[in-house]
Amino acid sequence: MTTAALVNSVLRFFLLLVAQVFVFNQIAWGWSGKDYLFVFVYPLFVALLPMRTPRPLVILLGFLLGISIDFFSETLGLHAGALTFTAYCRPLILRLVQPRDGYSIKAYPTAADLGSGWMFRYLAFLLLAHLLAFFSLQTFSVLFLTDIIIKTLLSLPASLLVLGALILIFNPRA
Amino acid sequence: MGRLLRILLNSSGLFTFAGLQLLCLYLIVNHNDTQRQIWAETKSVYGSTLSEFISDKLAFLDVARENEILRRENAALLARIPGSGYDTSVDTLPVRDSLLQQRFTYLASRVINKSPYGPYNTLVIDRGSNLGVERGQGVVSDGGLLGIISEVTPRHARVISILHLDTRISAGLDNSAFGTLKWNGRDPRRVTITDMPDYVPIAPNDTIYTTGYSNVFPTGLPIGTVESSEPLPGTGSQDLTVVLLNDPLLAANGYIVRDLFKEELDQLNRVR
Repeated sequence: MTTAALVNSVLRFFLLLVAQVFVFNQIAWGWSGKDYLFVFVYPLFVALLPMRTPRPLVILLGFLLGISIDFFSETLGLHAGALTFTAYCRPLILRLVQPRDGYSIKAYPTAADLGSGWMFRYLAFLLLAHLLAFFSLQTFSVLFLTDIIIKTLLSLPASLLVLGALILIFNPRA
Repeated sequence: MGRLLRILLNSSGLFTFAGLQLLCLYLIVNHNDTQRQIWAETKSVYGSTLSEFISDKLAFLDVARENEILRRENAALLARIPGSGYDTSVDTLPVRDSLLQQRFTYLASRVINKSPYGPYNTLVIDRGSNLGVERGQGVVSDGGLLGIISEVTPRHARVISILHLDTRISAGLDNSAFGTLKWNGRDPRRVTITDMPDYVPIAPNDTIYTTGYSNVFPTGLPIGTVESSEPLPGTGSQDLTVVLLNDPLLAANGYIVRDLFKEELDQLNRVR
């Protein structure tokens, strides 16, 4: 992990925390008294961690970011649980979207390094895992399976859109 | 060990994930109202079924211990049944008499065990060496003889019944003619007296007494009545068939005869 990557990760940790808590947590859309559409930007932190970060560290960092967001949103454990799960799934998704000739040793999981098509698929899978985990924990019962699916199907494109915009704007290299 | 360590290291991600996820679930259930209610509801619906299932499956693990506990309880309960008590009251009555010095004392006892009827009958009484019972002492029962002590433990003693093929007791008439009483193993109501001189006149229904020569029974204790006599040609003796006064097979009580002069008489017997 180079210094740049370290600094970028620390910065992303706090910026995404602030952005999620103060901006995107305010976005919620739905009907008949229920909210179905949410926007999640903080999974980007886990997505952009350097490729060779030790797996327990990724999971621990995911947990820390999630619990920090929980502290501000009064949903203690929800975001933390979901992001821990996402962090655990990250290597599996990386293997799933692996380019034909594999990752080079110095590669970073960024659009600048691996192309925007790859980045889109990577983020889509990561967000899918995260949203499913989050909404499962939120409803906390398989009885609300339709709710979970509707929420995921609505939130996934919205979140993906916002994340794509963020990456286009900042285009991080590490 | 190295392999185990490597496995642990390789799946450190899984362990981190599992630990943190459990922590998250704990936090969710404890700090969010909706989830707490759902969890409580789920627990009440499935929890009892699950715990019942588990305890059903695990019940057999405890069987040995439960069994031990029940057996101890059974033993404790059985010990409370009146029949399992050991009667510690001592029923022996020495008579104080200035003219007659006490020679025999009698110790009451209950018969607590009998061998099945056969040629070698024995029984067990509930008095033992704690109360001075010794090997070789006689046991009399209501109106007749019962046997001779053969083995002694602190609380119990084994009695060789007179209905035992090896029993030999000195018995005679009141005119001092005497012979040896034994049992032929056939009729539990009749015994035989051998070695009785054939010149002694015997009439049916003559009473047979103990002689006291063997220091086992006191002198003059009635044993039975003569039923018939049969002279044995060429030996100078006759056999008497004697009907017992008592029925040793039915005896429930026995009085152990203790000869207070036994040691003294034994000394005489040792000096030839």
